[in-house]
Amino acid sequence: MGGDPTGDGSERVAMVVDEDRCIGIGQCELLEPDVFRLGDEDAISRVVDGADLPRARALELVDRCPSGAISIADA
Amino acid sequence: MADTTKGPASPADIASPTIYLDGIPHEGFAAIREVDGLVWHPYGDQGDRSGFWAVTRHADVREVSKSPDVFSSAIGHTNLWDLEADALEARRSLIDSDAPDHTRLRRVVSKAFTPRTTRNWEGMARDIAAELVEDFVADGGGDWVGKVAAPLPIKVILAILGVPTEDADYMVELTNYLVEGTGEGTSLPDDAYGNTTPTRLLPFNSPASHALYEYAEKMRQLRMAEPGEDLVTGLLEAEADGERLTAAEYRNFFQLLVFAGNETTRTAMIHGAMALAEHPDEWARLQADPSLVVRAVDEVIRWASPILHMRRTASRDTELAGTPIAAGDKVVMWYAGANRDPEAFDDPYRFDVGREDNPHYAFGGGGPHFCLGAFLARMEIQVLLEEMLARDVVLAPGSAPERLASNFVHGVSSVELAVA
Ligand code: HEM
Ligand code: SF4
Repeated sequence: MGGDPTGDGSERVAMVVDEDRCIGIGQCELLEPDVFRLGDEDAISRVVDGADLPRARALELVDRCPSGAISIADA
Repeated sequence: MADTTKGPASPADIASPTIYLDGIPHEGFAAIREVDGLVWHPYGDQGDRSGFWAVTRHADVREVSKSPDVFSSAIGHTNLWDLEADALEARRSLIDSDAPDHTRLRRVVSKAFTPRTTRNWEGMARDIAAELVEDFVADGGGDWVGKVAAPLPIKVILAILGVPTEDADYMVELTNYLVEGTGEGTSLPDDAYGNTTPTRLLPFNSPASHALYEYAEKMRQLRMAEPGEDLVTGLLEAEADGERLTAAEYRNFFQLLVFAGNETTRTAMIHGAMALAEHPDEWARLQADPSLVVRAVDEVIRWASPILHMRRTASRDTELAGTPIAAGDKVVMWYAGANRDPEAFDDPYRFDVGREDNPHYAFGGGGPHFCLGAFLARMEIQVLLEEMLARDVVLAPGSAPERLASNFVHGVSSVELAVA
């Protein structure tokens, strides 16, 4: 696991979507439209280039994805 | 053969369809939630696998939903009673499949139901809602089910599918018969609608499913000849992993969408309206602060819990809430119980249109089967509430509801409401 120097979940982290697991529900885009975008053709979620979130929010997104497709890209 | 008890006996009956004639047995669910571990609930007469583990706590429903490899949707059935192997195959759709089949099927339709696509239908849904509300008010009230709650979702899903609106009444008739199949059995003769298929091979054991299949076929031929912008065309043209849907997959999909897209949302709109009529103070709150409407929508859905349960089957020996579960055991998630769990909701029996933290499981506990139509259903309920707010409609109680004897859909077949 990557460090969380502040310990309060405010450190910003990048996220990845496992395209084979994503079933295109769109929960992620609904919650964080600037970070996740569903493909117009395939409705598979992809992370917007360079987008990140505070760790605490990222963990919430991981949790809210119904198919377990989102994870934190720990260095 | 008598049912074998596998664990502590359930302190309450939550499975007999007729108890639902008096509404959800909330006290029974509370008693079950309070027992440590899981309780074993008898059901039917299908031998030692007949009963089920009753999962009624919020956290446990979540765990089952999120572990599809252990708690399978493809074995036995996703309702309480087991199907024979040939019947299960004939009836299989998205909802009773596991990955990788499930992922493939789900991707065929996911594009049509994302939050973004759903917004494209908002104007259409709003027009339909406005007209129904105006007619209801002009009539001075009446049967909320027949006049508003039933027609709204069916008109919306039929428009999305591309089914002509003049067939809406026929589709409502057919889906009403399907719901009977979840209760005391269908009132239709086996050969209704020209059916010749043994009913056990049909969804909900109902000849009405045969009629829906026939209608799906008619739509298929129509759209093969003349493709449109609608979802039926989408289903026919969709390819996932280079494969098209088989004929059986297509017609089961059509059947699933027509059923799931209307009966559920209708039920939410019925219980929502009844709650608002019984709690005028909550409606007044919403009128004073219409920005609460988004929260009100989810509170209506939690309150209604339109789908009472979904079932999984253990694919191997496992454990849940400290209770050992054997491969092949039925594990039934009672959303109706989870949605009143005091561990997850403050004051769970209060209808609170401004409820802030509302992690309800009416759309499922958050696994891969999470309701495909969740955003669509929310949008429909929201436009309905907004169109009522825009006209200052105030509902008041009329007659007691006629409830369904069903342990699957929290259904009401009619309820008179007055316009105050
Ligand atoms: C308030 C209205 C609704 C409620 C309460 C509801 C509830 C549910 C529930 C509980 C599930 C099973 C979730 C699980 O097993 O984890 C489900 C699945 C499903 N719902 Fe809904 N639903 C509603 C509206 C709709 C609408 C409008 C559609 C129209 C497209 C729809 C289509 C489906 C489909 C296709 C599935 C199967 C998904 C899968 O297995 O991957 N539902 N719904
Ligand atoms: S919430 Fe998960 S499954 Fe849904 S679109 Fe986002 S990544 Fe895909």
